[in-house]
Amino acid sequence: MDTSGPAAFVNGEILKMFVGRRVRTVVQAQREEGGLLIGQSTDGHQLTIKGASGAPMSHYVEIIGIAEPNQAIRAEVCTDFGENFDPAPFNGLCKLANGQMKDLFL
Amino acid sequence: MDSDAAPSVTPGAVAFVLENASPDAATGVPVPEIVLQVVDLKPIGTRFTFLASDGKDKIKTMLLTQLAPEVRSGNIQNLGVIRVLDYTCNTIGEKQEKVLIITKLEVVFKALDSEIKCEAEKQEEKPAILLSPKEESVVLSKPTNAPPLPPVVLKPKQEVKSASQIVNEQRGNAAPAARLAMTRRVHPLISLNPYQGNWIIKVRVTSKGNLRTYKNARGEGCVFNVELTDVDGTQIQATMFNEAAKKFYPMFELGKVYYISKGSLRVANKQFKTVHNDYEMTLNENAVVEEAEGETFIPQIQYNFVKIDQLGPYVGGRELVDVIGVVQSVSPTLSVRRKIDNETIPKRDIVVADDSSKTVTISLWNDLATTTGQELLDMVDSAPIIAIKSLKVSDFQGLSLSTVGRSTIVVNPDLPEAEQLRAWYDSEGKGTSMASIGSDMGASRVGGARSMYSDRVFLSHITSDPNLGQDKPVFFSLNAYISLIKPDQTMWYRACKTCNKKVTEAIGSGYWCEGCQKNDAECSLRYIMVIKVSDPTGEAWLSLFNDQAERIVGCSADELDRIRKEEGDDSYLLKLKEATWVPHLFRVSVTQNEYMNEKRQRITVRSEAPVDHAAEAKYMLEEIAKLTGC
Repeated sequence: MDTSGPAAFVNGEILKMFVGRRVRTVVQAQREEGGLLIGQSTDGHQLTIKGASGAPMSHYVEIIGIAEPNQAIRAEVCTDFGENFDPAPFNGLCKLANGQMKDLFL
Repeated sequence: MDSDAAPSVTPGAVAFVLENASPDAATGVPVPEIVLQVVDLKPIGTRFTFLASDGKDKIKTMLLTQLAPEVRSGNIQNLGVIRVLDYTCNTIGEKQEKVLIITKLEVVFKALDSEIKCEAEKQEEKPAILLSPKEESVVLSKPTNAPPLPPVVLKPKQEVKSASQIVNEQRGNAAPAARLAMTRRVHPLISLNPYQGNWIIKVRVTSKGNLRTYKNARGEGCVFNVELTDVDGTQIQATMFNEAAKKFYPMFELGKVYYISKGSLRVANKQFKTVHNDYEMTLNENAVVEEAEGETFIPQIQYNFVKIDQLGPYVGGRELVDVIGVVQSVSPTLSVRRKIDNETIPKRDIVVADDSSKTVTISLWNDLATTTGQELLDMVDSAPIIAIKSLKVSDFQGLSLSTVGRSTIVVNPDLPEAEQLRAWYDSEGKGTSMASIGSDMGASRVGGARSMYSDRVFLSHITSDPNLGQDKPVFFSLNAYISLIKPDQTMWYRACKTCNKKVTEAIGSGYWCEGCQKNDAECSLRYIMVIKVSDPTGEAWLSLFNDQAERIVGCSADELDRIRKEEGDDSYLLKLKEATWVPHLFRVSVTQNEYMNEKRQRITVRSEAPVDHAAEAKYMLEEIAKLTGC
């Protein structure tokens, strides 16, 4: 396992603390604006994803990329999780991975 | 609204509502300003009634159950003033009494100091609004299984009344014709104790059990019991043995009112206690039971209805529940052989639905199966509403209800809940497809209080405690992988196509079924097998029956047998291998079996569901939250 560039589990709120670093999140694709994907994070924020066009609308998409200011991510890897995805557990995971259970995560 | 000004009521409002029974679009009668005062507010079951007064006349009034929280929160109080926004006026009960049912209201003034009376009417009208003593008394003691008492303002004089007081009051107010009956010294149930002889009570039979026979060390006998409720809502259980049971069983009729004397009281046996009373009554042959004819004022059966989707927490508990619902289907009667005495008992399954849009199967036994069950079968097309008092909640078929000896069924009861339910069924219930609460419990859906996610344990919890299930089976839920299905085990048996019991090869041809007592040319194979499962804490062997095994293997036993015979052992082994290392949610029972003089734990799969990963993740988050205490 490559641990050199770990991607932290984040939601919209936690994303702000990782600007400039690699993150992993799941958004629900809402619309595209000039090549940018606008998606809703699992805690209800609007995130702008660069370099992730073509995602089917209303599908959940996992994004791994570099966090940028203003709730944006420059995507490196995108994975379509389909429509059948429960955002609540992922959001719970993000909170645990950055809070109480931080020690368990890279 | 200026709250300083004394609010007034609308004169003639009672006369108006009596004339215009239902103001709505259909009749074109708009609701005018109707302001009434609340008098004698009291709870009946889960709802509230009071007398609505316009200063001159009063009318018995019921609040819809939805308005009950308004009373509990203290918004609607005794002597308060309300504006009626919508209502219907119905004739209810044997007495053909007009009752105002308020469906919408607003509170004008919380509570006045006294009753509003129109001065001019005061003297002459009084006899016309003759109140029987019961209407003046607020229910003093309620069984504690009823909802908590709301902040009803109790008048101080509604303390326990002495018998003479009661007689006085009753004499004072009763019409001459009724006086004969009233001259009896009627004791409130709450005043009875074992040290007091010579009482007469006037009670309604609110539950009547079956006449049961028993056998014990001292011989055989029969017994039956009734629950009696008096005007104050106090309940007591009365038991009759042998001769007394035979004498009174035909006399007591459910719902009728009786004068009873010469019974004896003793401290109630907590183990068998069904009503909230410290004492229970025994009636022997010499007890005096007399029907009080034409008496209807004692409270009807008090229900504490539980909605079908709220039944989960009652599973396996001692507490009995009351249910009201629309009958969806009625099965023919079946006979079930009871294991302990080999007696056959008639049983009938009915399915009822309620406005939680869930259905539940209720097993009726004995008389209820044959008599009431037949009635229901005859009228099932009209979707009758039934109210059942005292049902046991079990996890049979996921979740189901069952009548007990003292369950009572009332078909199309005269209750506001029934009206509500009828309205719901006619408007939407009829058209919607409703899921059984039982299937919910078995499947992997969360929500039910006892689903696959409640009593979840790891395998080690079961395997490390050899005493589990010693007295009676205990149930758990597991999330485990199948790690081995031994291909060389006897995996199925030949079963009767009608009753699923084991058949033996008959002499000549065909198969003999002991259960059905007949020969059939064909039989089917049904699984019965053991599988090994693993979870992070260990391994265990589970016994598996046909339905769950079919889901796990992915085909019927007949099909698997065919695969083995026609496609060979390799295909057969592959089929079993495909079922291995698949995760499942299992609901299991754990029992103790003695085998070769050795106690062994037997874990049996009762239901199976595929793992729903989203629900599983949610469950784990909750568990983590519990562990970390946040």
